[in-house]
Amino acid sequence: MSTHQHHTKDFLFTYVFSTDHKMIAKQFLITGFLMGFVGLIMSTLFRLQLGWPGQSFEMIELFMGSWQEDGVMAPDKYLSLVTMHGTIMVFFLLTAGLSGTFSNLLIPLQIGARDMASGVLNMLSYWFFFISSVIMLCSLFVEGGAASAGWTIYPPLSALPQAIPGSGAGMTLWLISMSIFIMSSLIGSLNYIVTILNMRTKGMSMTRLPLTIWAFFLTAILGVLSFPVLLAAALLLVFDRSFGTSFYLSDIYIGGQVLDHTGGSPILFEHLFWFLGHPEVYIVLLPALGITSEVISSMTRKPIFGYRAMIGSMMAIAFLSFIVWGHHMFLTGMNPFLGSVFTFTTLLIAIPSAVKVFNYLTTLWKGNIKFTPATLFSIGLVSTFITGGVTGLILGNNALDINVHDTYFVIGHFHIVMGLSAIFGMFAGVYHWFPKLFGRMINNKLGSMHFWITIVSSYGVFFPMHFLGLAGVPRRYYTWSEFPMFENMIDINELISVFAIAAMIGQLIFFFNFVYSAFRGPKAPMNPWKANTLEWTSPVEHFHGNWYGEIPEVYRWPYDYSKVDKNGDFIYGEDFIPQTTPLGENEKDGGAH
Amino acid sequence: MMTIIVVIAVILVVITASQLLKLAELRAKSKGELIYELTQKENKMQGLLLLLFFFAFMGFFVWQIVAWGDRILPVSASEHGEDTDFLMSLTLYIITPVFIITNALLFWFSYKYAYDPKRKALFFSHSNKLEMVWTIAPALVLTVLILMGLNNWNKITTPIAQEEEHILIELTAMQFNWTARYAGEDKKLGRSHVTLIEGVNGTGVDTLDPSSKDDKIVKGEFHLPVGVPVQFVFRSLDVIHSAFFPHFRSQMNCVPGVVTQFNFVPSRTTEEMRDITNNEDFNYILLCNKICGAAHYNMQMDIIVESQEDYDIWLAEQKGL
Amino acid sequence: MPTIVSDNTHYKDEFRRKNSKPLLWIAMVSIVMFFGGVTSAVIVSQGGGGFIAIPMPIEFTISTIVILVSSLVFHYGFIAIKKGNYNLAKMSVLITLILGLFFVLTQYLGWVSLHDNGFYLAGKESTQESSFLYLITGLHVVHLIGGLLSLIVVLIKTFKKKYNAEDTVGMQVSLTYWHFLGGLWIYLFFFLRYSIA
Repeated sequence: MSTHQHHTKDFLFTYVFSTDHKMIAKQFLITGFLMGFVGLIMSTLFRLQLGWPGQSFEMIELFMGSWQEDGVMAPDKYLSLVTMHGTIMVFFLLTAGLSGTFSNLLIPLQIGARDMASGVLNMLSYWFFFISSVIMLCSLFVEGGAASAGWTIYPPLSALPQAIPGSGAGMTLWLISMSIFIMSSLIGSLNYIVTILNMRTKGMSMTRLPLTIWAFFLTAILGVLSFPVLLAAALLLVFDRSFGTSFYLSDIYIGGQVLDHTGGSPILFEHLFWFLGHPEVYIVLLPALGITSEVISSMTRKPIFGYRAMIGSMMAIAFLSFIVWGHHMFLTGMNPFLGSVFTFTTLLIAIPSAVKVFNYLTTLWKGNIKFTPATLFSIGLVSTFITGGVTGLILGNNALDINVHDTYFVIGHFHIVMGLSAIFGMFAGVYHWFPKLFGRMINNKLGSMHFWITIVSSYGVFFPMHFLGLAGVPRRYYTWSEFPMFENMIDINELISVFAIAAMIGQLIFFFNFVYSAFRGPKAPMNPWKANTLEWTSPVEHFHGNWYGEIPEVYRWPYDYSKVDKNGDFIYGEDFIPQTTPLGENEKDGGAH
Repeated sequence: MMTIIVVIAVILVVITASQLLKLAELRAKSKGELIYELTQKENKMQGLLLLLFFFAFMGFFVWQIVAWGDRILPVSASEHGEDTDFLMSLTLYIITPVFIITNALLFWFSYKYAYDPKRKALFFSHSNKLEMVWTIAPALVLTVLILMGLNNWNKITTPIAQEEEHILIELTAMQFNWTARYAGEDKKLGRSHVTLIEGVNGTGVDTLDPSSKDDKIVKGEFHLPVGVPVQFVFRSLDVIHSAFFPHFRSQMNCVPGVVTQFNFVPSRTTEEMRDITNNEDFNYILLCNKICGAAHYNMQMDIIVESQEDYDIWLAEQKGL
Repeated sequence: MPTIVSDNTHYKDEFRRKNSKPLLWIAMVSIVMFFGGVTSAVIVSQGGGGFIAIPMPIEFTISTIVILVSSLVFHYGFIAIKKGNYNLAKMSVLITLILGLFFVLTQYLGWVSLHDNGFYLAGKESTQESSFLYLITGLHVVHLIGGLLSLIVVLIKTFKKKYNAEDTVGMQVSLTYWHFLGGLWIYLFFFLRYSIA
């Protein structure tokens, strides 16, 4: 006998201050995408400057105001744009937007829990993210402009407003925003870890978890261990900037005078920053890899190949990511032996990455593939992960890094692995779990159009950059017209900018499709992809607690696709067996072999 | 005015697109289909597009090499650069086939195994043997690359021994130019500190230090004799800069409060390089390669490499403080 | 809104009991990493050249004794609650709170003493060593304030008899965090003595 309770909540608690993980997931998604859109516009703007240096773009002055006087971008504003673009894309879109959305949406649903370990902390995590986004956007409008020392904000450039105007109020707001962002990320990660360890349903052992959960779990651990160190770095920078300490500053002569700071070293900042900075890129990438495993498996109707190897390689990547940060600092004058250690550990990371790629390929082999937009983006992720990953072997090798460090070669590399692979993972996730997020189906035709425009134009933007880097072209240069040796590169720049504009337009198709389908798309069935994982057993409509009645019990791993019996027929008649189906008499669970 | 027209146009496009999508959904429903179910035809088309994309992608890759291959840096102008370039080429020759073959498999499998309701996918969940193969193979290749790289790196990062013949130059970076200071006959650089910056003494050389008496200050363009090792020490006065000598395969950060070092042996004169690149106006260059402020994009100094005799003549003309 | 079976709405209490402590444990790991970052900064900064030793104010030694005693008192109170002895528990938590405030006072007096001896947090006459000394002890106090707030909550709840032998999770969370703050202080105290003093 159960008592029925009528649950009515007002608008404020259902939509704004919700503690329901599904609503919070949507909040993270929307905010992340809005910030991502801002970052996208920024990159289009500075690509206009790079493709057509010094050209006047009158129309843009309309909304850029003093940043684009007489239609031409100012050099320090160019640096503000590249700084804010990097900050927004890495942190706001690909960390909060990606992890925040999918960890929140999928963890309780895929492990069989009513909600996250703490709904209140979860809600706070989102609101801190929102507030930090607002502050970061406000920093665009202060005197002196937004932070302009690169997203890596090395002091002294980021500490001294005399060195560049953006290092005044703009940098202060950046630091405040990021401190709040770090709190958001830490609170979120706490929830993810505890929920996964503590709240799994009956039968859901760690080796029956979908790879998405493993990815989110390891990502959260990375976050818990590395973001606090960025907070420490930022705090010391705040003190140097505003309270007259000398943690990072020493022996500086600027603006006609010697500054009071003595004894500090900018290299200290670099160590603290990159101690987060490197794990950060895996915080960005691992969720995308987890999503890809899930999408490829369910859409090829095959178990993911090497489930345990996939977990092992993710763990190896997570562990190694803590001991490679020095490869961002090969040329700081560090002890050469230390440089060698970092080369060694960096090139080691290539091994688990390669294992993952081969496992994805083997999963596709002899599969039966359905090319939804999610599948397309997952395949795109594998391609870009390979392409971007192999150039890491050059950058990670200290002797070779000497000539490509801080050139366009680096920009090509990290954009292909983050700006392509990670965002492709995010898109794949949005397309695949759109029915779960909004109860409706997103349009396939527009989705595949989005994929094709994006992959073609993005490769067009970033592949040529390897050549630019090998020609010695440095990054963060406002224009190359001061160097005769780069004269024959300007047409390459133009080509890149054309591709960049095309890529931007492609994203508009996605935004339209997303908004239209969220409100007017066809209603989704409970399990549109005929997938095995638990989230597809919970009803389409959203309510607290995820399942009516008891939470389902789990009997098998999530990858029983196309499992056949001795006669070659599908066991149970279908090419998929949900985790909630008990094992047959002589059936062994695939996960425990 | 233009803005209003653009805004209205955008709104109309969005409304039209929405209606078209709704129409498509209803049309599918009237045929008894679900618009979100991929038809066989659509699915096979995507598979084909993926395969075609692979060929287009490879075509684009080859085209770039053909169109831009000769625009990358010319042959190394330093001795150690020859080894670095060899390792770079070797690495590229290793990763390019990997890049091509893995992408080929990816897109070929996608095409070949497009959904067919009559087919069953293969339930192949793991193979320890395969995992070993593709763990050990990359590990072996990487070991080679690591060892070669470290060997290279050790040679490059060792400072020149005091007794060996060399030139000693201090390069001071500041917003937004470079100053070179040559150690004079005594082969020593005088002490310097920011607190001593005054007037002409733009880098804070301690004029009371006897070693600085014969130091020569050079701006705008500095010269090097071919074949003689040059030891650089780097300083910065304000923010982090980076001394990048792309033709010499050399780079080192200039950090305020810290002195860093790098050395190389120039192996080709400017004249030689002008011949090689077929460009009368070619010059070696030093550029700043770490974001340092608004004019970061224009912080440079020309470098001339010449015969020992020409260099001696040039050096004699340079002045101290 | 569909009507919902009671199973999927009454889980808040179960969640609180099951998850509060693990959440705290992970948070403490983060805090450790934060202080790890700051103390590594001390070590890296020292690498350039030796620090000029700064004698630790005697007030910090008193701080150490105070915080250790407070942990014992609080723990005693926890044991009391489990036996149902509310009055003892109330006293213990109150004394812990007072000792916590006293700890903050000794920290402040320590800073004053440093200042009087010519060691400053910032400005021309400060050194990296002196800056770190103030900063690290200050950051610990900031985290301790969180502990004090949790003590106030626990005090109120103890007065309201919200805890009983079966459900002391709220107090356990506060207690664990308080012990953590004590342990953290011990680490920082000896670290600072070794590296800066």
